[in-house]
Amino acid sequence: MNYLVLGLTRGSMYALIALGYTLVYGVLQLINFAHSEVFMSGAFGSFLVVHALVGDGGDTSGVKAVLVVLAGLTSGAVTGAVVAYFLERVAYRPLRRRGAPKLAFLISAIGASFLLSQLFGKLFNRLGNNQFPTYFDVNKQLFTLFGAKVTLLQVIIVVAALALMVFLDRLVSGTKLGRSIRATAEDAPTAALMGVDIDRTISRTFVIGGALAGAAGFLFGTAFVFSNTMGFIPGIKAFAAAVLGGIGNIRGAMIGGLLLGVAENLIPTAPWTGEAWIGNQWTDVVAFVILIAILVFRPTGLLGERLGRAA
Amino acid sequence: MNSRFSLPPAVTRLLACLAGGVFLATMVGPQQGSKDDFWLGLRQSLLDVRIIWFLLIGVLLYLAITYRSVVSRYAQRPGIRPLLAGLLVLLAAYFFMKWYDPLDDGKFSTLADAVGSTSGLSALTKAYFGWVWWVALVLVAVLTFVAIALRQRLLGWVAAGISVLAGVLVLVAHGDAVSFAGGTDHSFGADVAFIGHLVLALAGVLAATSREEVAAPREFVERVMAYRPGLPLVALGLVLGLLALLTATWFLPTGDNRTLVDTADLFGDSDLSGFSTAYLGWLAYVLFAVTLVVAAAAVWLRQRLLGFAAAALAVLAIIATLVALHGISSTAADAGYGGVGGPWQGLGSGGWVTCIALFSLGAGGWVAATSRGRRTVGGHAASGAQRTAGGATAAGAERSTAGGRLHAAASSTTVRSLFLLGVGLALFYPPTATGFWQQALVTDIGVYVLLAVGLNVVIGWAGLLDLGFIAFYAIGSYTTGYLTGSLPVKPPSWLLLSPLWAIPFAIAICLLAGVMLGAPTLRLRGDYLAIVTLGFGEIIRLIAVNNPGNFTNGPRGVEKAVPHPVVDLGFIRFQWGSNPLQYWYLLLILLGLVVLLFYRLEGSRLGRAWAAVREDEVAAQATGVNTTRVKLLAFAIGASTSGLAGVFFGSQIGYFNPQNFVLNNSILIVAYVVFGGMGSLTGAIAGAAFLTWLPNFLRDQVPAEDRTMWIGAVLILMMVFRPQGLIPARRRKAELTGLAGHDTSTNQELHAVPAREGV
Repeated sequence: MNYLVLGLTRGSMYALIALGYTLVYGVLQLINFAHSEVFMSGAFGSFLVVHALVGDGGDTSGVKAVLVVLAGLTSGAVTGAVVAYFLERVAYRPLRRRGAPKLAFLISAIGASFLLSQLFGKLFNRLGNNQFPTYFDVNKQLFTLFGAKVTLLQVIIVVAALALMVFLDRLVSGTKLGRSIRATAEDAPTAALMGVDIDRTISRTFVIGGALAGAAGFLFGTAFVFSNTMGFIPGIKAFAAAVLGGIGNIRGAMIGGLLLGVAENLIPTAPWTGEAWIGNQWTDVVAFVILIAILVFRPTGLLGERLGRAA
Repeated sequence: MNSRFSLPPAVTRLLACLAGGVFLATMVGPQQGSKDDFWLGLRQSLLDVRIIWFLLIGVLLYLAITYRSVVSRYAQRPGIRPLLAGLLVLLAAYFFMKWYDPLDDGKFSTLADAVGSTSGLSALTKAYFGWVWWVALVLVAVLTFVAIALRQRLLGWVAAGISVLAGVLVLVAHGDAVSFAGGTDHSFGADVAFIGHLVLALAGVLAATSREEVAAPREFVERVMAYRPGLPLVALGLVLGLLALLTATWFLPTGDNRTLVDTADLFGDSDLSGFSTAYLGWLAYVLFAVTLVVAAAAVWLRQRLLGFAAAALAVLAIIATLVALHGISSTAADAGYGGVGGPWQGLGSGGWVTCIALFSLGAGGWVAATSRGRRTVGGHAASGAQRTAGGATAAGAERSTAGGRLHAAASSTTVRSLFLLGVGLALFYPPTATGFWQQALVTDIGVYVLLAVGLNVVIGWAGLLDLGFIAFYAIGSYTTGYLTGSLPVKPPSWLLLSPLWAIPFAIAICLLAGVMLGAPTLRLRGDYLAIVTLGFGEIIRLIAVNNPGNFTNGPRGVEKAVPHPVVDLGFIRFQWGSNPLQYWYLLLILLGLVVLLFYRLEGSRLGRAWAAVREDEVAAQATGVNTTRVKLLAFAIGASTSGLAGVFFGSQIGYFNPQNFVLNNSILIVAYVVFGGMGSLTGAIAGAAFLTWLPNFLRDQVPAEDRTMWIGAVLILMMVFRPQGLIPARRRKAELTGLAGHDTSTNQELHAVPAREGV
């Protein structure tokens, strides 16, 4: 059960990142390879704010810790949103104006990914082990769930992620902006004829996705270490999660992320005995094999793909 | 940005330009953040006087964009563009590039200071580094500008002359300073400055000769190339040959640079073979002169027979040069000159440059002989272009305007000239490069060019996005490792092979792997295929890391070095060693074969089927293309090329480990192909060569850790300003311009939607 909880925390972060991939894919039919760097920038941005707030840390209690977490989430989200906004303006919109082939977007995204990751490394540091200051007892055991220990940090991560996901779901299905996003995803030329400002919608989609990834960056950085190359692996995993759920499909991305997180934590141990049955190092292999298998049998992911229809 | 709150566009643009300047400020420079002080990097890059310069760049950018329409009228004058380009190149050379490696900084200013404080250098060198360089620069710039602005022809010639003189001075002064100081030096500053001066000279010549009001660079190039096909090559051969025979170093035992004449003196009374003595004494000049005369006559008179004769003569002369070089170096090794350990060692660049010059002459003759008829405006449809384009004749025929035809016709001569020049450089340039560059040429550049050519089949022609291409490379490498007994698990003794014999096995296994991956997954659409191939690549790498059954020896890589290949034909035996040059020529042969094969393939039935599948799979199926089979073939052919590259890599590098096969490399190869121009063979080669050359080049120019960042910036800029890639395929280019042409007439809003592409 421990692994299930671990998997859920990891999975909820994957889901947050995957949402960014899936939103952008929905409106542009394009894999935003630089999304992982948006996630990374969220971690750095929130670190600067948190560090300014609590200095080198030390246990703070109650209300203050909650406020710092909220500040971290917000600053991460804002950083992510800003980076994503400029990313769209600089690396995507000019190409769209020129009607560039689809792979050109991919290469531009890869370039942006290199640029951002190395620029953050240059500006801050290239070490692999930056840590957030501890300002609350991250390992404090809150309660046990069917025999699994649940720590405070895990609760924070899952609750924050779920809240953001519910918020996004409401946003996309309920508001005017959400309607324009769905309309663009469904059929951009028609949406444009119906009075949707496509450029603005796309820009905002990037901002929303970026904010979610930035918040995930804060959560990830708090739970583990962070660095300028932290984005790569979670980025790939989240991309896989988005594809697993059916890329372009918001709920699919949520489910895919959670599923992938749980799967990669459960695979190394046989759930029924709790003992390792294949080595830890085979986790990713098994995860990718499962992904390929699912795609072979359901070529458009678990929930199918359209953003417009599913939400 | 909210809709109710919007700034005037001019202000937004200014802000954006300033932001761009600030962004540039964070990228340029040696600053590096630290863990203890997170703001350090930002502080160093932004809160410093230098930020003013970057803001100024932003303002200039803003002015350039805002007043583009005003400025562009002047920018159309003949010569303005070369003038600006030359100035930019020179500024970059003088202020950003390295001029001399042994110095700490190595920039021009450092070297100039060092020269100023050193006694014993010639007055000319001192004067050059002291004041001549900037006086010449300013003088040429002002003169050329005045010549262009006032249409003063004489002034244009004067400016061009001074510029050429300044260019020669750069080389002379730099060579003098470097040879005085000694030490290995592979900086580019002086060479780039020389090129910059030549470009400035071109600006002067253009200002002096052009009769047009408005420059049309492309037509200019066409006119030059179509005037006498092959003439530029012959001219280049003449210049290079004179340089090589008169001033270049032919022989350099330790600390001693000898030109051709000096070398002849040195070997005057040694036991050098008669032929080599003759070559050094008079044959070199005679061969060059005869080839030059024949080639020039062939080009000028458009005599086909003379052209072939020039090409044949050039080949003979090159062989003679090589024999003589071999003779010199082996005699020197026997006589025990310092630093000459065996044949082909201790040679300067002179002999090789002579080879390039001769090759260029021969190529000029060849081009003259094989280009048919006069190519003038409105001439015949481009037969040469059609041949070059292979299967893309339909696209070529669509370009029916006279200008389009002219372009196609002229560019075929241009393309062939450039291609031949490239071959000449590939053959004879590497021996003159430094050891570092020879190594980089083989392990970084050459292998990835081969990989890009392979991936071009999958992505460019069949339109399948493959993000796990490196997996086949890994399979090829590990197959070689197994068959040569370098892995912990040994093959049965009858299967123990030399690396060259592993090629067919590796290709077969990669074919199989390609089919095995492709068969179940190829019905997936674009992006799903991407993630599946990505997963496959990671699985292969992780298997190599995890070492099942102790087959791959895990993250440590192969157990013992993969042996170097051997060719043993009974009467002749050649063993490759650790010298990268030997591998370079092997690679050239492999690459030549693969490119020839793919060139034929592109226009074949299969190549056309790929194009059909890429454009519209349903329509292709409806017209009777077996799409699954066609796509599988693309996958398998791409995979086997990758496997071939793997064999080469494995035996060249000796030791390899899973780190060589990370996902990042797969992504980079995709970037090479798209950067070069999807679906174009030359594009894939050029893209891969440029993008693998760039980090090695940047090594000396920026802090080592920043190289990836700059490459990222280059990728974005290229895609924003030239999304079709360096050398787009003809068919794709027609599509893109065609689509864009239609798009502009429709609703502006529709531009938000990317044009539908096959991938």
